[in-house]
Amino acid sequence: METLGILDEIQALVCDKLQVVSYKWLSRNFLISSNAAKRLLQQFAEKHGSELEVVYSVSGWLKNNPSVYHIRLVSRPKLSEAKGDFDDNCSVYSVQACILKDPAALWNAEFVQAEELFKQPPTVINCLRDNRFCGVINSFVKRNPEGTSVGTAFLQAKSAGAPAPFRNNSAPQPDNISLPQHKKFQQSSPNISLQSPNVVKDIKNESHGAGARDQGSKPSADKEKDPELPATKKIKGASGTGGSLASMWGRASTKSKSISATTKISDCAPNSVATAEAQIFAREAVENESSDDDGENVKFKRGSNGEGSRKRRVVFDFSDDEDECKDAVSLASPDPPKSKSSIYPQESSKSAVPQKNNLNFVEQNKDDLMVKEDTDIESKKLFTKESGVSNDKESGISSSDKIESRIPQNDAVLKGEVINSAPNSPKRKKVFKTRIDERGREVTEVVWEGDEAEKKPDSSIIKKSDNGAVNTTVNRPSTAKKSPAIGGTAPLNPTGKAGNKKAGNKDPKQGNIMSFFRKECTRQ
Amino acid sequence: MAAMEVDPVNNHLQRKQSHYVSLDENFMIQKETYRGQQYSQIYFARLDLMRTLIYSLLPNWKPYLPVCTVLDLEEGKQCIIVGTLYKDMKLKPSILDEYSKERSATPLVKPHNFTHPDDYLILEDESGRVKLRGTVLSPSVYVTGNVVALHGKATGAGDYLVEDILEAGLPPQLELPYKSEEDKYVVFVSGLNVGSNSSNPLQFQLFVDHISGHLGDKKVQSIAAQIVQVVIAGNSVEVPRGLLNGQNLASKDQSRLSEPIKEVDILLTQIAAGIPLDIMPGPNDPANFSLPQQPLHRCLFPGSATYNTFRSCTNPHSFDLDNVRFLGTSGQNIDDLEKYSEANDKLAFLERTLRWRHLAPPAPNTLGCYPFTDRDPFLMESCPHVYFIGNQDRYETRLIKGSEGQVVRLICIPRFSETGTAVVLFLVIVVELEKSRMPCSQFWDPVQLMTT
Repeated sequence: METLGILDEIQALVCDKLQVVSYKWLSRNFLISSNAAKRLLQQFAEKHGSELEVVYSVSGWLKNNPSVYHIRLVSRPKLSEAKGDFDDNCSVYSVQACILKDPAALWNAEFVQAEELFKQPPTVINCLRDNRFCGVINSFVKRNPEGTSVGTAFLQAKSAGAPAPFRNNSAPQPDNISLPQHKKFQQSSPNISLQSPNVVKDIKNESHGAGARDQGSKPSADKEKDPELPATKKIKGASGTGGSLASMWGRASTKSKSISATTKISDCAPNSVATAEAQIFAREAVENESSDDDGENVKFKRGSNGEGSRKRRVVFDFSDDEDECKDAVSLASPDPPKSKSSIYPQESSKSAVPQKNNLNFVEQNKDDLMVKEDTDIESKKLFTKESGVSNDKESGISSSDKIESRIPQNDAVLKGEVINSAPNSPKRKKVFKTRIDERGREVTEVVWEGDEAEKKPDSSIIKKSDNGAVNTTVNRPSTAKKSPAIGGTAPLNPTGKAGNKKAGNKDPKQGNIMSFFRKECTRQ
Repeated sequence: MAAMEVDPVNNHLQRKQSHYVSLDENFMIQKETYRGQQYSQIYFARLDLMRTLIYSLLPNWKPYLPVCTVLDLEEGKQCIIVGTLYKDMKLKPSILDEYSKERSATPLVKPHNFTHPDDYLILEDESGRVKLRGTVLSPSVYVTGNVVALHGKATGAGDYLVEDILEAGLPPQLELPYKSEEDKYVVFVSGLNVGSNSSNPLQFQLFVDHISGHLGDKKVQSIAAQIVQVVIAGNSVEVPRGLLNGQNLASKDQSRLSEPIKEVDILLTQIAAGIPLDIMPGPNDPANFSLPQQPLHRCLFPGSATYNTFRSCTNPHSFDLDNVRFLGTSGQNIDDLEKYSEANDKLAFLERTLRWRHLAPPAPNTLGCYPFTDRDPFLMESCPHVYFIGNQDRYETRLIKGSEGQVVRLICIPRFSETGTAVVLFLVIVVELEKSRMPCSQFWDPVQLMTT
């Protein structure tokens, strides 16, 4: 009989190798069911029990406390006593050479075995994984070693467009999203049952969400934020609902929410560096201009972290995000001059697609005079490239004001776009120069390297309008720059501030940034 | 060696099944954006929603009294005001204190209670605040964040003398299903604390063996076959915090850091291979700090997450099992209440949160919470049938009844690493239909499952 063979083996193990042989260990080792293993151990104990120590498991309802179901491991001498406390049964748990001091050692051999089984490649179905030797079987259990898990999560029901799969991303992951490693998720997914269909897309969302969100404080973005980042892109609709309550907080948007499309984009901070990917997305976004929702969000790819310091998004957070978004979007729309006077002061001249660090004012309505978002000019460049708009002109902005036509319709979409540092077009750089003009005002000029200067309305106006929110609008720090000419109000601190600004405290009493632009316009 | 099937297949017991619906969506932070907002919005949302609720209850309470805002109080005139309570506490720790103390890697443990006889309550609505006086309202019972209606009058001193108080009361409860054919059990366990000194792996292994059906003879296993759901309510793992001091980890330390979670994964695999399992994050788990805690990530459990029975859930966690509604947390809300208010026992705190209709009133005042902008996810919309709290000192349970026939089973789940006790709830529902009254139902007392 095979059992005899096993019994002999058990003896060898216990006596010679001094191992603790528990019934689970036995069942896994000899591939027998645990009930059979227990019977075997029982036989063994009867045969050789006198030389060895046997531990029994006693379980049942306590006699003196019937609402407690107790499971206890007892050694043989105490067995009868233990049985008395219970009104139930016992069975052999393990045999070993002697009683161990530390009861946890009973568990050791078994655990080592379990660990080995556990470490086998996920596709292997072993007795640990399918629980085949158990007395109770559950045929509804399914295991899916790769890809998404089978069934369960209601989360799975969410569409791919939904905010990042919670399971994947909402759990705190310190290194999540905030760093431009969206690829990382893609790699990791196959081995872990992530919801792979969603992963890639969400990662993108995350990464750009991250970019958007952050105003420079990305690296330190709190974990809490991260999970929502991907979601932010989708917020568009969601934030709208918050609007009613949020409006209580006096952040009534003064602008008309014109276009909604690509709302998400506006959410993004201009931090991230735009890549070709972004371009494509932006283009798609433009195409989907009217589409509301999740669809094609502009996905931003975070550039290297180092870029973070470069641009901040200036957010006049006098309204909900979606207002901003919408505003931003409207800016982008190609024509109606009235809709926005996108004045990009620094751009001043119609020329120049700014290469880097340029003030990018995405302006909402003329009326509003609120500069919503600051996007890096370079983002525009991408579009120009794509759309073939020359540097000098960007289509779309046709306001009577100054033509910051740099802003192609795509711009709005780009709102949050992060531009890569490499200029797409001419290799000229714009730099800021500050000087005091005849009226004693500090004037910031945007000058092509070695070229003519363009005047900008002075910083005082900006000062007024800057309520702290604007700090970064004006000066994108870039390598060449000098510190913000735009008055002391806006310390060029791309990294940190944006975050605060976001919180938005625009003081309506202060002048509007738009007046700055207008002036500029009229001057010309 | 060939597998020896001593038991023919048809002798195996089949595990019972049940219908599970997760209701955690409310607690997921999905569409929220953080725009740097502060907590005023969640307080406002809470006030708004609960005030509407309380207004609907006022006609049944004292319809003859006018309702006014705090700023419109007239001296001597009896009226009702509705607002959020704020408790001014002398001993409440302030963030500045923490800065003055030495900063250590381990969290400062303040288990004691901060109440003081001099604490007083203030009621606040959008218009203003007023200090509350009177013996009806005991400051030691209430905490900041409750929304209540008060009947009283303004005094000459500018205070409000409270004569009566109205809380939101238990939310409406769905009817329990009729008696089910089979007896089913739900097992609750919390505070496994794998990786800590106090946890005994043998105990947990015994527990796993029992519920999965390895241990014992046929009779015992048939009991185990009736377990349809396991809920792990937080603190499953204890990460060695000494390693987390901000330095880069050596690879040896990294493996030390991850060993506890691997051990948990192996054990959870053994459970998930047979029984549906819900795992919630707790205060010590590798999850986010503020409530609602988001589900533990699946990558932490590469082995068990592959099963369709494995569910990583939020904290607080809510689900329906065969139409019985469960709601519970890993204990942070009750522990916080315990620090800032007083009661006879833990179950009293649970009952209070139900009567206030809010899972965690001290959030975000003293309990970390996400700054929601347009909703407060801790408001209870419907009354659970089973309300559980994890990581408590000992097992306690009680059945409470509401004014509209709601019946709730309250359960305090003890820490397994310290007590070796898990809680088994029998889903045996006995419904007595009485012609003149609403059906009422009873739960059997839950059973303690102890391992030594």
